[in-house]
Amino acid sequence: MQESRVYLDHAATTPLDGRVLEAMLPHLRGGAFGAGNPSSLHAPGVAAREALEEARGFVARLVGATPEEILFTSGGTESDNLAVLGLAAASPEKKHVVVTAVEHPAVRNAAAHLRSVGYEVTTVGVDADGLVSPDRFAEALRPDTALAAVMWANNEVGAVQPVEEVARACEERGVPLHVDAVQAAGRLPMDVSRVPASTLAISSHKLYGPQGVGALYVRAGVHLEPVVFGGGQEGGLRSGTENVAGAVGFGEAARLAAGELEERTRRERGLLERIVAGATALPGVRLNGHPEKRLPNNAHLRVEGVEAEGLVLFLDALGYAVGSGSACASHSAGHKASPVLLAMGQNEREAFSAIRVTVGKSNTPEEVDGFLEAFCTAVTKLRELSPLYGKPASPVAISGQQ
Amino acid sequence: MADSYNPRVIDHLVRPRNVGEIDGATGMGESGDAACGDVARFSVLVRDNVLEDVRYKAYGCAASIAAGSALSELARGRSILDAARVSKIDLEGALGGSLPPGKEHALTLVLDALHKAFEDHWNRRAGAMLVEGYGGDGGVGGGNKSVVAAMSGGVDSAVTALLLKEAGYEVATVTFRLHGGVQGSRSCCSPDTVLFARDTAHRMGLPHFTLDLEDLFEGRVMQDFVGSYAAGRTPNPCVACNAHVKFHAAAFLADALGYGHVATGHYARVIREPEGQVTMARPADTKKDQTYVLWPVPKELLARTVFPLGEHEKAEVRAIAEGRGLAVAYTPESQDICFIPDGDYRRFVRGKVAAEGGEIVDQRGRALGRHAGVVDFTVGQRRGIGVSAPTPLYVTEVRPEAKQVVVGRKRDLEVSEVRVGSLNWFLDPERSETVQVRYNGAPVPCEVEEAGDGEWVAHLEEPVAGVAPGQSAVFYAGEKVVGGGVIVRRGAGRDGA
Repeated sequence: MQESRVYLDHAATTPLDGRVLEAMLPHLRGGAFGAGNPSSLHAPGVAAREALEEARGFVARLVGATPEEILFTSGGTESDNLAVLGLAAASPEKKHVVVTAVEHPAVRNAAAHLRSVGYEVTTVGVDADGLVSPDRFAEALRPDTALAAVMWANNEVGAVQPVEEVARACEERGVPLHVDAVQAAGRLPMDVSRVPASTLAISSHKLYGPQGVGALYVRAGVHLEPVVFGGGQEGGLRSGTENVAGAVGFGEAARLAAGELEERTRRERGLLERIVAGATALPGVRLNGHPEKRLPNNAHLRVEGVEAEGLVLFLDALGYAVGSGSACASHSAGHKASPVLLAMGQNEREAFSAIRVTVGKSNTPEEVDGFLEAFCTAVTKLRELSPLYGKPASPVAISGQQ
Repeated sequence: MADSYNPRVIDHLVRPRNVGEIDGATGMGESGDAACGDVARFSVLVRDNVLEDVRYKAYGCAASIAAGSALSELARGRSILDAARVSKIDLEGALGGSLPPGKEHALTLVLDALHKAFEDHWNRRAGAMLVEGYGGDGGVGGGNKSVVAAMSGGVDSAVTALLLKEAGYEVATVTFRLHGGVQGSRSCCSPDTVLFARDTAHRMGLPHFTLDLEDLFEGRVMQDFVGSYAAGRTPNPCVACNAHVKFHAAAFLADALGYGHVATGHYARVIREPEGQVTMARPADTKKDQTYVLWPVPKELLARTVFPLGEHEKAEVRAIAEGRGLAVAYTPESQDICFIPDGDYRRFVRGKVAAEGGEIVDQRGRALGRHAGVVDFTVGQRRGIGVSAPTPLYVTEVRPEAKQVVVGRKRDLEVSEVRVGSLNWFLDPERSETVQVRYNGAPVPCEVEEAGDGEWVAHLEEPVAGVAPGQSAVFYAGEKVVGGGVIVRRGAGRDGA
């Protein structure tokens, strides 16, 4: 429908960086270099192993870890699952888990699985800005708590949690903490020596690397049980031949992110401010999530009187790709309002009227201005259509009925 | 790509047609609510039964917005009959074929909103007519072969419409909103029975309308029902509905559309005497005979009424529905009192009137015990009297002014005379051979005699038990209905007391 498309959904996935692709290609092509199995003893195997270990080093450096503390997985979801299930299995006598109300489904549903097999799960709520209170989190910890989990930055509203304080509280009480840093890695400075988490999940495709590869940081000395069994790769915690090309791409992406973090953040923050100022200039448009304690690239916009699905598709038709938290409010379609927004105290209708605009390193001010124009057009059109906007909330009397 | 929208949907989303509200609309309708997730609102401007303008608004998923737009295009400029024929399948076709799974709800939603706008249009046009009663204009408009068929959502009314269509009639269907609906089945759209009736009509290619008759039904049926119990009578709400609501409303719509006839799924026959009088006769399926509740239909409405099921057995009707693939073939029989779904009419009545306790007395007026309110008792009742006696006791009379419930033995229930008022005679009263005093009761030979004040007395050849004031008495000559009325008083007992 639209030839040129502006991509503003970097929280969903980021486009592969050309430099990353170049680094990966030899490993995908095979030949003299690649296609070796890093567990093999021959030259191609050794070459693959060397590439893998170099990548591991780059990923470790992004988060301030040592290479030995990084293991590669298939992505953020697997990393989160391995951490939650693996930490729980490592202390089988403890049957209590603490999570926040705004965790990604990879953590939330892993915890739900633990509940289904007999664990007690305490969910710590958030305030209207989506932030967890470290004190309330600490109060939820018990002697029988097997693990706790908090996300560094929220994938929907972009709220950045006080991970450092939470991690300290856990450390004091001897409770292992898992941090889902999938959205934060590559966008916020990160140093596990200052945040005493036990495990930390990151993903390649959120920082311009390829999809299908992620990593789990496991602090030296922390014990974890595997959830996948096989040849004992990745220190026995993630069996299966490593995705070498993917890991190399991830490594290159991590290296670039570490080097360009400040520059990217500065640019993205500028674009973000432009979006927030422009969008909220329209009546009935508000920013979800804490205004300052948020990811530098995330504008989560609540648009009164409009449902997200129509707005996202409308913007798509105008050439702008943005995200929606919850696709369609229609109950018959089985869609549920975002648990994150509900946890922030919003009602269903509010929760269904938000879109997520997340900029990336390649977006320009011109694109943002184009987006704002399209946003204004789409919102105005959809509000003209909406029987709920600009009128009292109560439905009109119909056909003489009460 | 089953999960994504096709380009027609996106086109309607980005360039929605006919957005807005009409100033001076003749009808407005809304379906869904914010909690449900989707809302659609239609306004229509209908002149000479043509949709001169259609405007809509929608909130919700892209599917709802696009479906509203596509429906407005399908309806605008068409006759109201053609617009009321547009089905979910037609609408889905206009949206490019198929919607992603779970989004079909949007089709139901916008169709319901448009149909509510039609309903509002008809109700506004009817105005007070449908509250004060509508006699009809005699069905002069339109040809003979056009009919408004009432559709309840059950198998009988569906097959009625089908048989009429197959007999060459031009058929429009109508479902009446009679009461607030069944508790606990909250739906974003109209009640399921209305949606089901609409689907059934559309599958037969027939236009479907709704009429809001809640005020009329409340005033003419439910208040009478409650008032009758409070006054010690045993009402028949189906009779009241046939007397004032259903046929009148169908005739109103027929006249508005220029249609000649009305039809319902009752089991009865309409017949014409050689001398020209119109009346009813018992149907082919005597077990389903509904002439007993149809006696109050005014002559001028009966003259334009068609009962296609009068010639069919119930089993045949189900077989016809099954053979034509109608989902209604498998619907259960409707309940006795449509506005009391749980059947507990005592609780219903007690919820509407204050009950005062009083005495239970025997045939000679001696107190046997106490009761908590006359509304709990009807003539002929045996259970729940609360007085023990060597032989079973029956309620033989309810005296609300004295707050007394009179009980007696079974033989005390028997009467040899019944006084009847509010009569509707189709034929010469003197032709009466038998009288039926209960639904599914046996007709009893009788002689009728005028008793003054417009009332008649039926002298029964042999005594009958269980004659309750408020129930109907219907007079027959063979299979033909001579007339009917409401039992005013049980006459003399067998001992002539």
